[in-house]
Amino acid sequence: MTTLVIEPHTPAGRLRFAVSDAVTATRRFVLRSARQPDIIIGSLLMPVIFVVLFGYVFGSSISVPGGNYRSYLMSGLFAQSTLFASATVAVAVATDMTEGVIDRFKTLPIARSSVLIGRTVSSVIIGLPSLAVMIGCGLAVGWRPLGGLGSTVFAFVLLSLFGFAMGWVGAAIGLLARSPQSADALGMVPSFLLGFISNVFVDPARMPAWLRVAADWNPMSAVVAATRELFRTAQGQAPASVWSLQHPITTTLAMTAVLLAVLVPLCVRRYSRMSR
Amino acid sequence: MTDFAIRADGLAKTFGRTQALRDVSLRVPAGSVCALLGRNGAGKTTTVRILTTLIRPDAGRAEVAGFDAIRQPQRVRARIGVTGQSATMDELLTGHQNLDIIGRLYHLGAARSRQRADQLLAQFGLEHAAGRLVKTYSGGMRRRLDLAASLLIDPEVLFLDEPTSGLDPVSRAEMWQTIRDLVSRGTTVLLTTQHLEEADQLADEVVVLAGGVIVAAGAPAELSAAAGHTRIRVSLPVARPQELRDVAAALGPGAEAHGRVVTVPAPDGLASLAAAVRRLAASGVDVHDVGLEHPTLEEVFAGLTGDQGDDTAGDHTAHDTGRLETAAS
Repeated sequence: MTTLVIEPHTPAGRLRFAVSDAVTATRRFVLRSARQPDIIIGSLLMPVIFVVLFGYVFGSSISVPGGNYRSYLMSGLFAQSTLFASATVAVAVATDMTEGVIDRFKTLPIARSSVLIGRTVSSVIIGLPSLAVMIGCGLAVGWRPLGGLGSTVFAFVLLSLFGFAMGWVGAAIGLLARSPQSADALGMVPSFLLGFISNVFVDPARMPAWLRVAADWNPMSAVVAATRELFRTAQGQAPASVWSLQHPITTTLAMTAVLLAVLVPLCVRRYSRMSR
Repeated sequence: MTDFAIRADGLAKTFGRTQALRDVSLRVPAGSVCALLGRNGAGKTTTVRILTTLIRPDAGRAEVAGFDAIRQPQRVRARIGVTGQSATMDELLTGHQNLDIIGRLYHLGAARSRQRADQLLAQFGLEHAAGRLVKTYSGGMRRRLDLAASLLIDPEVLFLDEPTSGLDPVSRAEMWQTIRDLVSRGTTVLLTTQHLEEADQLADEVVVLAGGVIVAAGAPAELSAAAGHTRIRVSLPVARPQELRDVAAALGPGAEAHGRVVTVPAPDGLASLAAAVRRLAASGVDVHDVGLEHPTLEEVFAGLTGDQGDDTAGDHTAHDTGRLETAAS
């Protein structure tokens, strides 16, 4: 009997193994999610419900400068789906931490970051089919991206990057929660705060001043404004009064970078130290 | 110099107010099987978790497969296999996918991971279930798959935390055979168990833990002997006073009768049993069953710690080894 000992010998080797570990973990989470038809059906129905519910229930009473509320709303719904994905990551990570599988991973010679990277990257990948459904629903209710193919693709890349960062917010909640149930409850907090105190559904110009400050600097507002700019669905609106919304693409990229730079090391450290 | 696969000195660990381990030291020679024996809460799992790099001890040193488990955990992890008490295989993946993923995480690469997964599934009699989701597996099949996942790299040291708890007797016997096969190929095994019989069947050395300290260590036979009273147990078809007296006389000093069962100490184990069987045959009494009874874990503890446990006196577990059936005409 000879043990197959495979170890990296250089920093480059370590990095290559870490990337391979993250890819393997991601593959595992994507494979298992493909085996949950009930969740897949739910995740494909949600965009339909949202577009119809918000588009017609709110859209019938809310008017936006420049015309079409449903066209205005779609950027908000695209961004909002990243918040729901983040809440799902919170529950998934909290569940992982209560199951024996984490002990198995922790006794393997893998990078400490791989399970969390696997969870957050797979969350973006798993969200792609429902994003496609949401694009279809948007097109059906009159939303049209008018910025050209490049800008439209860039808008979705920006949404995915932001979604990846929000996945780490979910991971942080999942690691702090004492149980999957509490992660479920805690995960709703950012969904509501970030989702509603923003330009997702309404123009913050009409909010009270104190709330407006929060809405203007909410990263959700930046990503929504950025995609409205890229889709050219923001025509006719009053120009933004704050720097963050005057330069929404830069702000989104910067906020995404800051979120990742802060959350990834903190989450990985907490994950490594957590022991049941 | 003996080559030790596991070398631990003065391990201590406290969780909150509970002192799980106080000063535990171990030496496990390469290629041998060591069983940590003890009740729930004795410190078995804590010891295994320290040695497998899952937790850091508050004090002490641990070296596994030649590397420091505290300072060089990745080097230890690249050389060990671990099967814990809880299931670690993903129910929503197939058996083959589960093993393939673990192989890749040991950095075997795609081709070798698949190949090792195939080999191990065949070795554990799971090839027919390779493409099935693990949620369709029976308890015994899941344990075998979990064990297979620990063997992808043919580890230098294999840790098995209560490998047969919750298994039915047939699956347990299969697991024992699997462990023996591994040992015959040179793998060092550290296992934990609550059953003396399991330690007896598998281990070269048994380390008894109670309250976070080692209360005894030695070969299984030594330990049983130290705990006292391996007994010969003779049962009669019916409880007739005259026959009970005849059997007691044949068995010699120290015989005790309970109902239709007579027991007597067997200081020399099988040799005592063989002698007793000859005397019984000579006496001509009609006997239903004769066998050796080893002390239970509870009795070992009682012998070692003076603690009576919650076992009832005389509740021996019959042992298959050395059992002789006589014709009950």
